[in-house]
Amino acid sequence: MPLLGITALSKEFGGLRALDRVSFTAEEGEILGIIGPNGAGKTTLFNLISGIYPPSGGEIIFQGKSILRLKPYQISHLGIGRTFQIVRPFQNLDVETNVLVAYGHRFYPSLWKSTGPFRQPGNLREVQTLIERTGLRSYAKHLAKNLPLGFKKRLEIARALALQPHLLLLDEPSAGLRFEESAQLMELIRQVCDQGIGVLLIEHNMHVVMDLCKRIVVLDHGSKIAEGSPEEIRSNSLVIQAYLGKEA
Amino acid sequence: MLWQQLANGIAIGSVYALISLGLTMVYGILRILHVAHAGIYALGAYVGLFSFRLIGNFWLSLIVGMAGAAIAGYFVERLLYTPLLHLPRIAPLIVSIGLFTALEEAFRIVAGPHTLAYNARVGLGDLSIGSFHLTETQILILLVTLAILIFLWAFLTKTRTGLAMRACAQDPETTSSFGVNVSAIIAVNFLIGSAMAGAAGVLIGVYDNQVWPTMGSIPAYKALAIVVLGGLGNIPGTVLASIVVGLAETFFIGVLAIPFPRDAVAFVAMILVLMFKPYGLLGKA
Amino acid sequence: MISGYLVTILITIVIYAMLAHSLNIITGHAGQISLGHAAFFGIGAYTSAMLYTEAGFPFWTSVPLAAVVAGIVGALLGVPCLRVRDDFLAITTMGINFVVEAIFLYIPFFGGAMGIGGINLPKWFGREMTKPEYFFLILVVFVFFLLLDRQLGRSWIGLAWASIREDEQAAGAMGVDVVRFKVLAFILGSAIAGLAGGFYAHFLTFIMPQNFGFGQSIVILSMVVFGGIGTRWGPIAGAIILGVLPEISRPIMEYRTLIYGVLLLGMMRFQPGGLLGPESILSKTFQRTIYRLVSPE
Repeated sequence: MPLLGITALSKEFGGLRALDRVSFTAEEGEILGIIGPNGAGKTTLFNLISGIYPPSGGEIIFQGKSILRLKPYQISHLGIGRTFQIVRPFQNLDVETNVLVAYGHRFYPSLWKSTGPFRQPGNLREVQTLIERTGLRSYAKHLAKNLPLGFKKRLEIARALALQPHLLLLDEPSAGLRFEESAQLMELIRQVCDQGIGVLLIEHNMHVVMDLCKRIVVLDHGSKIAEGSPEEIRSNSLVIQAYLGKEA
Repeated sequence: MLWQQLANGIAIGSVYALISLGLTMVYGILRILHVAHAGIYALGAYVGLFSFRLIGNFWLSLIVGMAGAAIAGYFVERLLYTPLLHLPRIAPLIVSIGLFTALEEAFRIVAGPHTLAYNARVGLGDLSIGSFHLTETQILILLVTLAILIFLWAFLTKTRTGLAMRACAQDPETTSSFGVNVSAIIAVNFLIGSAMAGAAGVLIGVYDNQVWPTMGSIPAYKALAIVVLGGLGNIPGTVLASIVVGLAETFFIGVLAIPFPRDAVAFVAMILVLMFKPYGLLGKA
Repeated sequence: MISGYLVTILITIVIYAMLAHSLNIITGHAGQISLGHAAFFGIGAYTSAMLYTEAGFPFWTSVPLAAVVAGIVGALLGVPCLRVRDDFLAITTMGINFVVEAIFLYIPFFGGAMGIGGINLPKWFGREMTKPEYFFLILVVFVFFLLLDRQLGRSWIGLAWASIREDEQAAGAMGVDVVRFKVLAFILGSAIAGLAGGFYAHFLTFIMPQNFGFGQSIVILSMVVFGGIGTRWGPIAGAIILGVLPEISRPIMEYRTLIYGVLLLGMMRFQPGGLLGPESILSKTFQRTIYRLVSPE
């Protein structure tokens, strides 16, 4: 049984097909690359999986169960964490508190447990472990809005990891980062994956994708045009066409 | 009887449309709930009335009222809204409420708490066909609204500025990347929207033959309800919703004589529509 | 002995502080705009007044029930409103205020424009409470709410509210049930406003629909904005300053509404964090002074 199974997933926005019958699966401990030109429907795909809006058709199965009708918070409780293409940390909260918000997912469902104080030694210890793992220790007490971009991206990953996810959706984590920053982030993603977490990685930087992923799905104009190993993708004529432009 | 109520309802609905259009245009482009728009409406009525007292010609006073409202709207946008666009959306909303409250009080202090008569001779005459009767001011409202709507339609669909304005409402960032001066478009938007509100103020002033400091209170929230009904930011939807509310008020209160506050009709309609069509009558998700 | 006039002002201030505090839960903590807070204040006042005068309930049960009823109505109205886009919430809450005021005014059951009279101060030890005693009673209740507020601020509920205020969509993706916590804030805020309404009715002894109109909502909002949205002491400072000023100065009383309007506008335009907000001139000066006092030189 795959970790995530997507079948004929479609989304229309006012008659415009943003995603057109896309199917693929993802496994535990695997980094699945998702690439495609701008406007191919990659972020739409993430928004559908994380429940931000409902699909127009198709099915999403996570760990053997349909998650189609679930709300974003329910999906996150099942163990799907995500980051955003344009980073969205809670700007006026510090790093530690940002991570605590996601760590609280185990308390929120019970009104009684929600009334308990969140700064408990036990909670803080686990959150600090996450902060250290993601290399944010020296920033723990800084407000998120004051962090450099690379660390905001790390914070988003730390926050998603606090959900104890089985699947991580990473939307262009290396965009806007310098080379070293990007390399460090990729190392972090590899470590996450080694713990058995499945990762869907949207990425523009081809070197990063080819280096990190064993399998890649290519989207163009909302449709899946190719799937396979980096070598197969590199030599696929449809993919080359999509990237070089349709005018030819 | 039925035709008469229909005409009455459409006349009232027309004024609602003039007020609500500016509101929906501002929302479309800046995503601000411009509560103070109703203050601009009352300002238009006062400016129209005082200029009528000076010059004695209704049509000139209508134009002066519209111009006064347009200028006021321009300054509201430049001095209050644009500097606050980077803040959470509650900030411009609170500023707008504060401005509206202050404007009403300013009218009371400057022009006095009493209602003033706007007894203008328009020179159109009444229209009677059998039992069907249109008063001079009803004809005036229908004609002015029609003229303004035709102008607005032509402006939005036939001119470059109008097209840019509609593009801006869709996606300001992309529009500005095409070399459109978004700041100027926003200003034009406020000038036109406020001029329409000013026209509505003058028309209601003449229709009811009175202008008073809190004449904007009810339109302030009723226009918001209409704008929501029409689908926030949707121009044809707003015109439709205005007429619907005008007719609903006339029929429920006038014909069926339900003992219900007339001014709550718009809100009941809004809440009902929101339950079934969360994005308004013509709104899209 | 405190003079009767002073006690009246003190009671008014505590009631306004309670209202500003309750609106701050909705608008400051959870970040949801409400333009109809006076509706829940009114629902509480009318519930308590009707129970007391018509059904013969004593003060000690009619006032808590006022909070319960306002909370329930808040839940019923809040659920559909909080599901729609945030802009709609401002308009629907404003609409709720007008509809509630119209119901009090037009339905004879609620006494119409004449309102309801004959509501008295509570009895204890076999006699009617004096006004100073009443003041201390509601002050104690208010202090209890402040302690509760502090507790909530440190709880997961407070954290969930903060995340919703910052970024609703991101909060949902991080496991926060956004609608549930928004509704919780709305219920809590409405219930406390309802309780304030009960206290207000028994203090004024007669109530009218006009006490609970849109204008009153703006007064409450002004206090929150003036003091500092989302701060604990700001709304209280706002209630004290804006509540006392019109009482001590005739000209201010005369132009009260104008001043509220200009304050709302001016504060948001030039000092959006409010008087006690983290970035306000006052807070910065205060911090600088403390720093100078504490620093080694």
